[in-house]
Amino acid sequence: MCGIVGLHLKDPALEPQLGALLSGMLAQVRERGPDSAGVGVYGPGGLAVRKGVGDPVALAEEFGLAGMRGHQAVGHTRMATESAITVEGSHPFSPRPGLCLVHNGSFANHATVRRALEAEGVVFDTDNDSEVAARFVAHRLDRGDDLDKALRLVCDVFDGFYTLLVTTDDEFAVVRDAVACKPAILAETPAWVAMVSEYRALVGLPGFAAARVFEPGPEEVCLWKR
Amino acid sequence: MNHTFPPSVIAEIQERAALGRYAIRGLGARRAVPSFDDLLLLTASASRYPLEGYRERCSTTTVLGARNASQPVVLDIPITIAGMSFGALSAAAKDALGRAASEVGTSTTTGDGGMTPEERSSSKTLVYQCLPSRYGFNPDDLRKADAVEIVLGQGAKPGGGGMLLGQKVGPRVAAMRTLPEGIDQRSASRHPDWTGPDDLTIKILELREATDWRIPVYVKVGATRVEHDVKLAIAAGADVVVVDGMQGGTAATQSAFIEHTGIPTLAAVRLASDAIAEVGADVQLIVSGGVRSGADVAKALALGADAVSIGVGALVALGCNDSAYTAESGERVDVTGDYRKLKVLPGDCAHCHTGACPVGIATQDPVLERRLDPDTGAERVANYLRSLAMETTMLARACGKSDVHRLEPEDLVALTVEAAAMARVPLAGTSWIPGVTG
Ligand SMILES: Cc1cc2nc3c(=O)[nH]c(=O)nc-3n(C[C@H](O)[C@H](O)[C@H](O)COP(=O)(O)O)c2cc1C
Ligand code: SF4
Repeated sequence: MCGIVGLHLKDPALEPQLGALLSGMLAQVRERGPDSAGVGVYGPGGLAVRKGVGDPVALAEEFGLAGMRGHQAVGHTRMATESAITVEGSHPFSPRPGLCLVHNGSFANHATVRRALEAEGVVFDTDNDSEVAARFVAHRLDRGDDLDKALRLVCDVFDGFYTLLVTTDDEFAVVRDAVACKPAILAETPAWVAMVSEYRALVGLPGFAAARVFEPGPEEVCLWKR
Repeated sequence: MNHTFPPSVIAEIQERAALGRYAIRGLGARRAVPSFDDLLLLTASASRYPLEGYRERCSTTTVLGARNASQPVVLDIPITIAGMSFGALSAAAKDALGRAASEVGTSTTTGDGGMTPEERSSSKTLVYQCLPSRYGFNPDDLRKADAVEIVLGQGAKPGGGGMLLGQKVGPRVAAMRTLPEGIDQRSASRHPDWTGPDDLTIKILELREATDWRIPVYVKVGATRVEHDVKLAIAAGADVVVVDGMQGGTAATQSAFIEHTGIPTLAAVRLASDAIAEVGADVQLIVSGGVRSGADVAKALALGADAVSIGVGALVALGCNDSAYTAESGERVDVTGDYRKLKVLPGDCAHCHTGACPVGIATQDPVLERRLDPDTGAERVANYLRSLAMETTMLARACGKSDVHRLEPEDLVALTVEAAAMARVPLAGTSWIPGVTG
């Protein structure tokens, strides 16, 4: 229903190429999400989020993605399920400075979680279920939990099917639901970590042939920190 | 045709004119009111995904009363047996209900008449009622209980007291209640220790101290001014609120009460869960009154209940309204003739008040009592409770929930405008919630 790509660079020599690499990856998950797309790029000036409605490849060009540099980036292509196709409803959701969340799947109890968060004073921008997860993670981080703990709590609290890629200024984390049926492929080399919804989005990365390729297990939080 | 004076109304007037009294009967309201049948679940399809029944978990564990009690009630299923008194029911019926509840990992409840040693030993988790009548209420039994339920009212007769006709006040019942044998009993509608939330607060503290803050305190109300009553029960210190809708069963009540007081369970559950959410307290909601099936349970949970309680359904599982009972020899003995003596047919009996229950459930008559075999009865009630739990998890899984408590109002739509307004869910096929969205 959606496509996710993410790249976390360990080798600073690759930083000038970050946007170009992510743009190549995003094009490979275009069919998974033709409704809208968005990117979050962690560059020299901090996190820049760009989103739009329409074809992901055209949008990447509009954002000037290929020319962006930085140490980490995420991209998302969306096929809407229950909520509106709008720029606000596109991913990534970034409800807290430095935080980005992209989601593939759909939650089955987000209305209840939303009500509980609203009761604690959290304010929402959209009717989107992924925003509930993003605000939940932000709320836990605000409360002093680290990202690993916040994502474990996501597994405790949310029902439904999800692969989430969640990033902060210096962290890159992936988690899946207990059934783990939404795709998530991870690849790691000494130079980078990548996460994608489709294998083919990995093959253009430099040094991919030597990468360790694996899938995160059910409710397993895979986290890298700079 | 339905008009102001149909034959049934004429007959009622004639009976009142001849006898100078009102009609009394058992079980719940018989008029059609908006109910869980008027709601439908939106199960998963493409935008959401169902869970597989044979390998993907759907939890039913239910924890009640953890806010103050050092030993909260922990149940394996969100379906409990409601309070039904020894007196209204035979000792064997109480014993069978206790055994069935223990077998499936849920609780049963005493009733307006005290705790029998049999039901204490057969019930793993036993809720002890504290009622206006104070029949059989004592600190020793209180300390043996796993929870205490203060009864302010019942859905069948909110604002009314208990009733046990003389034919059911046998020697044991009379002794437990300190009443004369064989005399009609009408009990208090108001407990002498409290008239409102201020005195109730003190009563709740008294019960907590008597039990060393070990067991949860429930407060049960008949559904009338639900929002206020739930908030006041919480303010007074309740850990669990039990809301019994107007369809709730009884063993004996004036039919004017049964049919004309209180509000439907459907309306009550939403008012109660919204009131609890508004207060924001860690208080659980048990809902009763006309719960029959796993679909009813799933819908009640989706509207915010933490558990349901069942009265009449459990009696029917025991054999109520069956045309025959099973003798010790295993032979089925037809008792249609005994129903006819009560001027009813099997399937249409609500004559618990008479004490002449043809299947030995709602009676104190030693001969009739023997018609209920507690072993068979317990097995049948356990089967019934298990099937309800299975239906509930089946529907929850189809809604994509790994826990039945994660069903939510957004999983429901209504078939009628009335049900949509009461449950505050959209009319099917629209986004219209009368009174909320226009
Ligand atoms: C035979 C019988 C006896 C009952 N006795 C009591 C009682 O002693 N105390 C009480 O609070 N409720 C009593 N009730 C009401 C139940 O606790 C419960 O509120 C009601 O049965 C729930 O509705 P349902 O029968 O439709 O499931 C009784 C109900 C029945 C059917
Ligand atoms: S069969 Fe017995 S328990 Fe059932 S309604 Fe008749 S008297 Fe009551």
